[in-house]
Amino acid sequence: MKLNYLIKKVTNAIITLFFVLIINYFLFRVMPGDPLAMMLRDPKASPESAEKLKQLFGLGEPWYIQFGLYIKQLSQGDLGMSFLFKQPVVEIIAIKIVPTLLLVGVATIVSLIGGIFLGILAAKNRGKKIDVLSLSFSLLSYSMPTFWIGVLLVAFLSVHLTLFPTSGMTTSGMVFASSIDATVDVARHLFLPALSLSLVLLGQYVLIMRNSLMDELTEDYVQTAKAKGFSEKYIIRKHAIPNAMLPMVTVISINLGFMIAGAIEIETVFSWPGIGRLMYEALLNRDYPLLQGIFLIISTCVILANLIADVLYGYLDPRING
Amino acid sequence: MKNRLSYLIIVSIALFMCFLPLANNNVDAASNPSNTLRVGWTSEPDSLSPFISNRVSTFELHLLFYDSLVTFDNDLKPVGRLAESWKVSDDNLTWTFNLQKDVKWHDGEPFTSQDVKYSYETFLEANMGMYSDFLKGITSIETPDDLTVVIKTEKPKANMLYVTAPILPKHIWEEVKSDELETWPNEKPIGTGAFKFVEWKKGEFVKLEANKEYFGGAPKVGELIFPLYANNDTMVQSLKIAEIDAAININSNQVKLLESEKDFKVLSNPTNAFTNLGINTWEDKASKGNPLLLNNDIKHAMSYAIDKQKIIDVAFSGQGKPGSTIVPSFLTDWHNELSDEKNRSYNPDKAKATLDEAGFTDRDGDGVREDKDGKPLEFRLYLRSNSPEEVKAGQILHVLLKDVGINTNVETIDDGVLGDRIYDNGDYDLFIWGWSTDIDPTTILSIVSTDQIGNLSETYYSNPKYDELLAEQEVTVDFKERQKIVYEMQNILAEDLPYIILMEENAMQAVRTDKWKGWTPVQGAFFMAANNFNYLNIEPIEETLSVSATTESSEKSTNSWLIWGGIAVLIIIVAIAVRARKRNGIDSFDNM
Repeated sequence: MKLNYLIKKVTNAIITLFFVLIINYFLFRVMPGDPLAMMLRDPKASPESAEKLKQLFGLGEPWYIQFGLYIKQLSQGDLGMSFLFKQPVVEIIAIKIVPTLLLVGVATIVSLIGGIFLGILAAKNRGKKIDVLSLSFSLLSYSMPTFWIGVLLVAFLSVHLTLFPTSGMTTSGMVFASSIDATVDVARHLFLPALSLSLVLLGQYVLIMRNSLMDELTEDYVQTAKAKGFSEKYIIRKHAIPNAMLPMVTVISINLGFMIAGAIEIETVFSWPGIGRLMYEALLNRDYPLLQGIFLIISTCVILANLIADVLYGYLDPRING
Repeated sequence: MKNRLSYLIIVSIALFMCFLPLANNNVDAASNPSNTLRVGWTSEPDSLSPFISNRVSTFELHLLFYDSLVTFDNDLKPVGRLAESWKVSDDNLTWTFNLQKDVKWHDGEPFTSQDVKYSYETFLEANMGMYSDFLKGITSIETPDDLTVVIKTEKPKANMLYVTAPILPKHIWEEVKSDELETWPNEKPIGTGAFKFVEWKKGEFVKLEANKEYFGGAPKVGELIFPLYANNDTMVQSLKIAEIDAAININSNQVKLLESEKDFKVLSNPTNAFTNLGINTWEDKASKGNPLLLNNDIKHAMSYAIDKQKIIDVAFSGQGKPGSTIVPSFLTDWHNELSDEKNRSYNPDKAKATLDEAGFTDRDGDGVREDKDGKPLEFRLYLRSNSPEEVKAGQILHVLLKDVGINTNVETIDDGVLGDRIYDNGDYDLFIWGWSTDIDPTTILSIVSTDQIGNLSETYYSNPKYDELLAEQEVTVDFKERQKIVYEMQNILAEDLPYIILMEENAMQAVRTDKWKGWTPVQGAFFMAANNFNYLNIEPIEETLSVSATTESSEKSTNSWLIWGGIAVLIIIVAIAVRARKRNGIDSFDNM
């Protein structure tokens, strides 16, 4: 892969990020709903505390001064102070993003592996019962609302059968005998939310893998290889699948970026302490700095994921001028 | 593409996952006592600092790990906490509090009058947070000895015994500079309270433990945990399978669900919060409201037209009490129980009659009355989109008013947008939202004062007589006298109607009765009540206590078997696969 290609892609990413920064910042300033008024709608707040708050957050200054301040703070890794919690935004996000990454990461791996596996199975046995079954299953799970699957799973597996805890990331307040036990506790709590999230994503991956592989199997080189005497299994594994993976890479990278935000439904159903819920709370309370910080992080993830996809493409696909 | 290998990985992970339910909820029996009370809630603190936080959840926690000088008993009368006794001088300007002896802070340091002086002075100076306002009017605080505090006020301070400000440890808070107070998080609060703070895992739970040396007697609850739920359906499910022992803030459907089951005590009782119809009563020309609303006859007619019980039944599933005055009936000392006549309760005929007599009739036959100049009685009604109940209530209101010939243009908008319109020169006519009050009536009464225009007053109501009475009741220490004034103020508002109080909100809470006993509603609530009575006084039911103790101590084996088992299974599967591969020739791991 040529260095030129890499540099071009990275530069694009950085420029996109910069535009995101600007749009992100001004988007919140033009929205209705004065944050100061919301913070102070409380009989015990006095005009003095209003002044103090105004100064603390630099509100009331002209917009270009506020923006300049923002850029300066950003370069120092300071995402500002949350209106709601009165704590640095970076700290608040850092605590909440780890559970979301855990949830999203596990769900992605499960749905990816499951999706690829089922997709291959379906494509290999095209037209047969297995194909029809996995296709219907994927379409069904893909079209079900995420929170609905979540609620169903809780009602059935948690409440009815009491196999798994209903919510949270850990059993609240428990002190565990060892870190293995603590890990197992998190795993028990992670099972249902990850399952819900993966079921919805699974369908997407199955469909794409299946279609992509089916296309590959109609190519000429597959005929040639068959004529040469290689087994079907060998052809699929060694030739067809690597080529079929390319569209998957695109889909995976798109999904990765959005999943962090998309996990909000699952987080609400399962009271998972992640960044989705944080975003919702910040929105309700017009907490501009926090919202801005979260949106920036998510946009960065999307851009980063796309960059990785581009780089991976250059590596995987010899046709691209890499 | 490692097809086969990933297949193996999937299978072994699946096996591992399937065994998970069998894992013991293994706990170290010693550090997780079985007298742990779990109370679920749906809203957690924003901050633990008494200077920063505005949330009820923080207030509730402060009742547990902090103490104030005086607290409320179950009848909402002031009773001593850190102050053992007190007396007030004849001119009502000097209060002398005698403090409890031998009280210690959670870190072992002794509690003295210096802490009281420091706390109150810091609240007064900082003027931030939910407590500072209570201390208004205090001019000096002296500490003649370690157990006595002498507080002098400028004018007689009627709410001196309603001050709920927590007493903070001087030796910790003096390290915080005054400009840091705005952001110092108070992450490990030290107080004198019945419970010690242990941990706050943000977004997950708050954990407290009993203060065994509490001067008021140690609570029988060993550990107190508040798990946070993102939605109250899951919370109630959790309650049903005993993952938690109590739930604050359930909704009306869940009340009906749980009431019929045994092992639960459910309550739905009015609190000190209400939902109201706000009316733009700004007399200034700058007001963007409809000037017809300044006419008391129209407001009286509106009051007659509103069937509050119907709104409660349909929009709030019957869980609420019809509103009357701005001081909710929960505040038994201060609520003025007006007659139906004075309250202008539901009577659509009277509504129509009032409008007819005032000259508002339907001149053009379109169903809407007009004044003599032909201006229709048509008003904008704004509803908050984040409250489906309020939206429903607003729609019912529209119909009720239409019935008597008043038309409303209903618009459902975002909370923040509503706030903007209200404070932007009163660009509204009518809206629905709510307030919650303190035990001291001054707080809610002051919202409709002239002083609060431009700050908290949404209705821009201004009545000099009312303002006078407000100032007077603040300095009237004699209870009967003060009550008379507060009653008079409610009469005035009932006449001028800047608010029509639609409903007094219910607290809806549920507790399990199979593990704990002694649940006592304090003015109708177990939690978020005027005091921390329930936390201090409930006891575990002995039988369940001993049973759970034995089962937990026998489950000493750790869950490491799960991990080892999983690895063993994986190794076995890989071994089988490798052997199967070696037999097949061409396909080997190397070719992958």
